[in-house]
Amino acid sequence: MKPVVRHGEANDAPFRFGFTVMGGPGEITLAATDSRSGLRLAELAVAEIRRIESKFSRYRPDSVVSQINARAGADWTDCDAETESLFAYADALYTASGGLFDISSGVLRRAWDFRAQRIPSQQALTALRALIGWQRMERRAGQVRLALAGMEIDFGGFGKEYAADRAGALLLEQGARHGLVNLGGDIRVLGPKPDGSPWSLGIRDPRDPAAVIAEIEIASGALATSGDYERYFEADGRRYCHILDPRSGMPVEHWRSVSVVAALAVVAGSHATIAMLKQEAGQAYLDDCGCAYLAYDKDGRCLRQSGAKVTATVPPCAFPSA
Amino acid sequence: MAATEHPVAVEKPRSNPALTRDPVSTGALVLSAALALPGLLPAASAEPAPAGGMIGLRNLSYRESQPGLERVGSNSPSLVFLVPLAGEWALSGDLVTDNVSGASPRYHTAISGASQMKDRRNAADLQLKRYLEDGSVSVGLARSNENDYASTALSLQGTVDSKDRNTTLLWGLGGASDTINPVNLAVRNEQRHSIDAMLGVAQVLTPADLVQFSLGYNRGRGYFSDPYKIFDNRPRRLNQTALSAKWNHHFDAADGTSRFSYRYATNSDGVRSHTLGEEYVQAFGEGWSVTPALRYYSQSAARFYVDPIYDPLFGAPFPAGVAIFQHPLLTMDQRLSAFGALTLEAKLARQLSAQWSADLKLARYEQRSAWRWFGRGSPGLAPLTAHWLEIGLYRRW
Repeated sequence: MKPVVRHGEANDAPFRFGFTVMGGPGEITLAATDSRSGLRLAELAVAEIRRIESKFSRYRPDSVVSQINARAGADWTDCDAETESLFAYADALYTASGGLFDISSGVLRRAWDFRAQRIPSQQALTALRALIGWQRMERRAGQVRLALAGMEIDFGGFGKEYAADRAGALLLEQGARHGLVNLGGDIRVLGPKPDGSPWSLGIRDPRDPAAVIAEIEIASGALATSGDYERYFEADGRRYCHILDPRSGMPVEHWRSVSVVAALAVVAGSHATIAMLKQEAGQAYLDDCGCAYLAYDKDGRCLRQSGAKVTATVPPCAFPSA
Repeated sequence: MAATEHPVAVEKPRSNPALTRDPVSTGALVLSAALALPGLLPAASAEPAPAGGMIGLRNLSYRESQPGLERVGSNSPSLVFLVPLAGEWALSGDLVTDNVSGASPRYHTAISGASQMKDRRNAADLQLKRYLEDGSVSVGLARSNENDYASTALSLQGTVDSKDRNTTLLWGLGGASDTINPVNLAVRNEQRHSIDAMLGVAQVLTPADLVQFSLGYNRGRGYFSDPYKIFDNRPRRLNQTALSAKWNHHFDAADGTSRFSYRYATNSDGVRSHTLGEEYVQAFGEGWSVTPALRYYSQSAARFYVDPIYDPLFGAPFPAGVAIFQHPLLTMDQRLSAFGALTLEAKLARQLSAQWSADLKLARYEQRSAWRWFGRGSPGLAPLTAHWLEIGLYRRW
């Protein structure tokens, strides 16, 4: 259920720039700009997204993440201020989720093969669970180390959202005011359409990739969705999705999808994922998180926080020039 | 299916005290942690170099009145523009021509004998700004010409942003030189020179809050009297210190922005003033926005201001008990009396298309002695009201 942007019937067609990044589609939409400056801005934003991808991707052997993982149980790895701040954020998510959002839980992928559609054995999961544990990540000024050999961390839980926010901030700093950055459904909105009206973002039906199940209007802020349909398989009438509970090693089952609107894409995405991980307790979590949300449970029931802070914003609060 | 029904026994979470925190605070925890990530918010105070230009036409109609008298009225069409140059520079300007007509009061608010005036003012204000990686520098030149008054001002201003762009240091230096040649030949080629300096800081507190403090000092020397007011004789030095504070807050739910400001100023004439302002910008759909504003101003009188109590023998305009022919420091200018004033303003703006926008501003100003904040206002003065209407049409490219 990736949100899709619907441009409505705007007179001035926005400039759109599509690309592939982090294994998925990305798009930058800019309105009130000509195609030449639109292209210049989009290229700047895509360069920033690619910088983040190459610096933090676990698929690239030269990334800081790969270096930390390769030295697990052995050496310290140097990290810069940006990397340290991502670890500080991961720490906050671990606390906020009661230990469910754990960037070291990716080791479970070694047991879960969604392509082969194979349910792993108890023993395999038990062995891997011993390698999960954010508190086994040792941090000191400018350096980190994973305590046990075989442990690994990754920023897959919020890397795309972080990139969308960074790209969005960069575009705003360059003077763009109307548009959005969409990285595989994690969307940072720069500001409304030129006429002041919000963008209408469609939420895809978690059970029908071709259908839009809801629309959310956002003038600025961010929308992110976490769902059970991106990577999954079904066996014996049960659905096994890629969002795994680090305590059991098993996929979560309570929610089909959770969409959250917040001021930043990282915040929206983190709340959506934590709600998925909290399963039944996810609703109380969402009610307390202070953001608007739209969630579909395993039976397709729709839950929403309609107190309608649906236009969460990063404020245009600079002082007017005297 | 619930997690507890999984075939795998669920481990209890480790007894990390941080994990037992009150769930109500998790939203704030995640948000504050996200805000600590670098580069997610655009620098609220760092201005980008403009990508496009703007040209606009404005007209300001101003009318000032007192009970029984229409005083000054003016009509000021102006041309405003902003042209980006070479990516990192911008040239902006405001060219205005005023046509002023009406009665200029001779002393206090007395009506009798008020002379009729007609005047034309041409003014140009140009600013060249250079956008830097961590701030900006701009130079400004302002010229204004009336048949009896010419003014030239130069300014140099800058901003310096902190690394995280949450803090901005503001500074400014300026100088002005004026020449006064009144049509009544009360004085010839009188001069007034001033220099000023300003230092301020703007700080982003939260994504929704921005505060700014500044301190300004102005030192003036020369002719500050009003040549059209009889017996008006003011000190040839005027130094002023001003402190100001501003707070902008954005309301997410309503998508509106409040701008609160306070300014305190004190000068060597003995005038101390307070200005409190609040405006609220509310955006609506389809490009509409409405900005109501309220401003309250209060000042004490200059120490050489005299009340309208006239000599029992000679009558007005001779103030009672003042040895008038020894040229004492003296003014009867209502603007230097003790008073309070309220300004009510409403602005309606509409983004017409990606390129075109228009706005309309209506304002009413009223000044009354009784409205002074601290202490009593100056007695015996008629209230003064002013209305203005400003319309503007702008095109961007």
